[in-house]
Amino acid sequence: MSAAKADRIVDGRDLEPPEPFILTMEALDAISPGQTVMLVLGREPFPLYRALQLNGYAWETTHNDDGTVEILIRHRPE
Amino acid sequence: MQALLSYDQSPPITAPFRFFLTAPVFGVLAGLLLVWSGPNAFLSRWTPEALALTHLITAGFMLQVMLGALIQVLPVVAGANMARPLLVASLVHAAITLGGLVLPMAFLTFQPGMFIFATVCFISGGLLFVGASAWAMRGIPATGPTINGLKIAVSGLAVTIAIGVAMSLGLAGWFNLPLIQLADIHLVWGFVVWGLGLLAAVAYVVVPMFQITPSYPDWFGKQFVPAALALACLWTVLGSIGFETSAFAVGLALAVAAAAFASLTLMLQKRSKRSRFDTNQHCWRVAMVSILAAISLWMASAVIPAVAEWPGWPLLCGVLLMFGGFVSVITGMLYKIVPFLAWLHLQNRGQGVLLAPNMKKIIDEQAMKRQMISHFAAGTLLVLAVFLPESARPAGGAVAVSQAWLLRNLWSGVRVFREHCRKIEMKRAKP
Repeated sequence: MSAAKADRIVDGRDLEPPEPFILTMEALDAISPGQTVMLVLGREPFPLYRALQLNGYAWETTHNDDGTVEILIRHRPE
Repeated sequence: MQALLSYDQSPPITAPFRFFLTAPVFGVLAGLLLVWSGPNAFLSRWTPEALALTHLITAGFMLQVMLGALIQVLPVVAGANMARPLLVASLVHAAITLGGLVLPMAFLTFQPGMFIFATVCFISGGLLFVGASAWAMRGIPATGPTINGLKIAVSGLAVTIAIGVAMSLGLAGWFNLPLIQLADIHLVWGFVVWGLGLLAAVAYVVVPMFQITPSYPDWFGKQFVPAALALACLWTVLGSIGFETSAFAVGLALAVAAAAFASLTLMLQKRSKRSRFDTNQHCWRVAMVSILAAISLWMASAVIPAVAEWPGWPLLCGVLLMFGGFVSVITGMLYKIVPFLAWLHLQNRGQGVLLAPNMKKIIDEQAMKRQMISHFAAGTLLVLAVFLPESARPAGGAVAVSQAWLLRNLWSGVRVFREHCRKIEMKRAKP
């Protein structure tokens, strides 16, 4: 897991929707420009991508061998 | 922040909801038909009443929810957005609703015009849906088993409809077709490639997500639906050219594969991190046990002469598979999908004015649990009616009540959604 490089980590693997979404939004609310949030899930969150895109965030998705998906989110550079 | 987020949720909520709310109406009609027909529906799987009943559940209840769910699932799990989803949903819904109503009437009256009308409805609705979803999925790489499974399931739907259309026109007198042989092919493609294929593709996502279980093993996810498709193709070809023994062996392999899916789902459920099962999990468990029971009965009919000679076994198999299996699992999923979608859309619509309500408050948990018990009771009475056809009427009454209850519960979710929308509008009007 590459979570060490994130400023905040949301582990949504054992949470039922919409909790991972809500926790990610709260974490994004708390970070400053330049900081990052890592969301760890067992699937790819397509609805979240759309929300991030429309609200000025950039993200990188990594698929790990154990089936987990890591999404590293940061403010999109102006 | 979450209140400020906006995501142009696609498709609009009315696109899937119209299908979800129509499905229980077909369930109520199936119950009322059984009350009207009484024991006739349980004399054989070929009576007009049994055929009408089967299609009210499959081409009515099941098809409505499955298409509505696909319209919603494609963008969520595959990122595949259907073009003009509301227009597609409106046209497909109108076509399959009309077709779903007329087809059972055609079986009851055997009027050629009704078969032709139903055929036109299913061809137009089916073609539009398959075309729109295939277009949405074009270029989407099959990065996971769900996307691949969805593509195969939709192709299974196309084959099921095509065979159904040919049979319908045969019944209308257009062609001379081997209807009994075609009925088995229609049934295998409908229940296995389309039904079980879609169920498995969706299960890979929703079982771990909503039931907090480990994921399905990677090899199973990759192999199951493609293997089911390959076996169904082989079974169809071997059966059509008269290789009965080989076709039976392939059919057996298909049944074992379906049983593996149901058993694996039960094993995953046992590893759920949730301390108490909710309605969705109970529905899944009963559905998987029912599917296993149906498969066991089919296998027993193949090897035990006493079972094969019992005329009730195909009916019991049908009740276990359709009502115990698919109707149960669909009920459980509706109780997750409807509140989740309502929450998602309200969250988006609120736009910082008003937060969405707690998802668990959108449909009352106790109301869902009570309806689920009424559904299981109706299923038990249907099983009883196979052995005692005179109990068909009470069973039909129980089906109608449980389905009307399902409709009431789903509507309560819609009412919460509308009420919350109204509050958002009021807050916006008075900043």
